[in-house]
Amino acid sequence: MKYDVVIVGAGPAGTVTARFAAESGARVLVIERRQEIGVPVLCGEGVSRKIDDWGMLEGKRWIANKMEGARIFSPDGTMVSLSADMAGNETGYVVYRDIFDQELARQAGKAGAKILMNTNAIGLLKEKEKIIGVKAKQFEEELEIEADIVVGTDGVESKIGQWAGIETRLDPKDLETCCQYTLTNIECKDAFCDFYLGKKIAPGGYIWVFPKGKDIANVGIGVLGNLSEAGMPKKLLDDFISKNPNLKKGFPVRFLAGAVPVANPIESIRDNLILVGDSARQVDPITGGGITHCLEAGKIAGETIGKAVELQQFDKETLSSYETGWKEAFGKKLKRNYMVKEIFLDFDDKTLNMLADSLKDIKFDEISTFGLIKALVLKHPTLLMKLRPLMKISSEA
Amino acid sequence: MGKPKAIVDRKICLACGGCISVCPQDALYMYGGRALVTEEKCISCAICIRICPIGAISGRNASNEI
Repeated sequence: MKYDVVIVGAGPAGTVTARFAAESGARVLVIERRQEIGVPVLCGEGVSRKIDDWGMLEGKRWIANKMEGARIFSPDGTMVSLSADMAGNETGYVVYRDIFDQELARQAGKAGAKILMNTNAIGLLKEKEKIIGVKAKQFEEELEIEADIVVGTDGVESKIGQWAGIETRLDPKDLETCCQYTLTNIECKDAFCDFYLGKKIAPGGYIWVFPKGKDIANVGIGVLGNLSEAGMPKKLLDDFISKNPNLKKGFPVRFLAGAVPVANPIESIRDNLILVGDSARQVDPITGGGITHCLEAGKIAGETIGKAVELQQFDKETLSSYETGWKEAFGKKLKRNYMVKEIFLDFDDKTLNMLADSLKDIKFDEISTFGLIKALVLKHPTLLMKLRPLMKISSEA
Repeated sequence: MGKPKAIVDRKICLACGGCISVCPQDALYMYGGRALVTEEKCISCAICIRICPIGAISGRNASNEI
């Protein structure tokens, strides 16, 4: 088997890359180890409205619920409400990720990409040091798939990057370890994504409640790896649900575990190789959101592949327009938010409560950054010291 | 008896991949929709045990006692 490009993993990063590569004339194969694209879902399913601007998804079947905004609850329960515009990356839609992923795959297929299911990558094909394809296993049969470019869209536990010699191992402090129930028989009157913060609630992370409908929500938790212990996320989540009068009534129709990289991005290109999505750590280190980055980076990767095929050049330099492209699109934001994450981790519950108390009455869509900081500091002067590093970052950005 | 090696309870594992991404020895991999340990590579650091959100990984010593 010989293709221009073989893409490992049929999540959003893989299928969007496949679509745009195929549209620009490349012969594309996507391999997926699972038997159904998007299943099992490993995601909180909150996606930004930004995806509307890109028009990559047709129809509305993938939308479960449209959000009006987000609410953040500090450890003492003080609520800060954010409109959809301000809430940014993670609120907009709550989606059905299985349908979402399958719709993106359909588009890739329509563009001419071929998708091979039940096919697990087991190594890279190399000629001396040069990458010339992927070794894979479909059921018990071994396949050698030759391609000029290999794309690793194989998620948080990416092996493709590692096999190509890129340091992909995550430090536990750069991983959110997660689990989530989809609870039915609860009340979700408001279309708000709720976030609960606190060292006792979710160390180094948060608990989320994302309503998928009037009586159903994804209720999940992320705990920072270095602050977690065996089974801690599930224990804390069960505890939270059992103490919440509304959620306590619910019964689960789905339970899942997840792992989200909250790291600095790693190198995303080598000769004959591209990484997109979680495998390249293209995730917002504060929110843990990655879908929009997959779509944005996937499109750039696909177009870069198209050009490389046209030129018949597959070296790192030719592929570098992909890396430059995604870094321009959202690389700075990831870098900045990684620093913000580090600062936030130092905030104790008392500081978070003070912050929330200062912010709770502010109308976010009307206020400037300067006005915001002034309001914060007037109410709780001691916040000034804590916020100084954040102000430094925002003035540099 | 050596130090306990990691073992994944396949009945509990939900294939999130967290353990694979933090293993310093590349001793874990996904197979058949579950994580598996390559025992010869495991150095008993227990990072995977701590990272598992649902407690699916535990230590097992050389005599196979859990």
